[in-house]
Amino acid sequence: MNNLEESKTFVASLESLEPMRDFVSQTGSNAGLNKKQIYGLCIAVDEIATNIILYGYQNSGIDNGLINIHTIFEKENFTVILEDSSTPFNPLETKIPDENELGLPLEERKIGGLGILMAKESVDEFRYEYKDGKNFNIFSVRPNDD
Amino acid sequence: MEVTLKLEANLVIITIEGSIDGNTSGELQMQIMGKISESDNVILDLSKVDFISSAGLRVLLMVYRQIKVKNGKVVLVGISEEIKDVMSMTGFINYFQITDSIEDAQNIFKS
Repeated sequence: MNNLEESKTFVASLESLEPMRDFVSQTGSNAGLNKKQIYGLCIAVDEIATNIILYGYQNSGIDNGLINIHTIFEKENFTVILEDSSTPFNPLETKIPDENELGLPLEERKIGGLGILMAKESVDEFRYEYKDGKNFNIFSVRPNDD
Repeated sequence: MEVTLKLEANLVIITIEGSIDGNTSGELQMQIMGKISESDNVILDLSKVDFISSAGLRVLLMVYRQIKVKNGKVVLVGISEEIKDVMSMTGFINYFQITDSIEDAQNIFKS
C-alpha cells in the first residue's frame, strides 16, 4: 500500500472546526477507515482543537494563531497530528472524570475534562509531544480493525 | 446548524439539523433555552444531527437540568450509532429516553 501524507493549515478559530473535521473525514475515508473510526478522529480533532483555540491561543491573547493538521497513512496506522504554537499544554495530564463521576446523576455532574475523555476514548492511541516551541497532539487508528 | 421549534401542550419539540460543536452550541443554547422555560417536557429530534462534541453535550445537560427541576422528561429522537457511543462513554445515555421517531416520543407523553 502506498504511503499517503496530507497537510492543511487552519486559522485557530471555532469556525475552523467544521472544515477541520471535513479534512480529516476526507483523508480518513481515502485511507479506508470505517465510519466509526472517522467519527472518532473527528471527535478527537474537534475536542483538542477547541481547547487549543480557546485556551491555547485566545486566553493567552495570541491573535492570528494557526493549527496545522497532518494526516499520515502508513503500514497499519492512520495518524492525525495537530500542530500549534500556542501555550504548552499536555491534555493527557488533565484530570478526566473517573467511573464514579461518570455514574453520578446528571444534575451533580461536573463538566470539566469531558472533551479530553471523549478524545481519548475515540481513538486507538493518543500521544502528546512538545518540541521546538510547538504542541503536537497525535491520534492514531488502525484501519484494518473493526 | 438549523433549529426548528414547535410548542405543543406542555411540550416543546426541537428539531436540529447539522453539527453541534464549539462553534454552534452557543447559538443553539440561545435559540432553545427560552422556549424550554415555557414547557415541562422536551423532545429533541437529533435525527439530522451528524456530529455532537462535548460542547453539544453541555447544551443537553443544560436542557436536562431545566426540565428535571420541573419533573419533566427529555426525549432524544433518532440519534446515530456514533452519537450513541459518545453518550455511552460519557454516561449521558442513562439520563435520557431515546426513541427512533417523533411519534414514539410523543406517545411517551400521551400514555
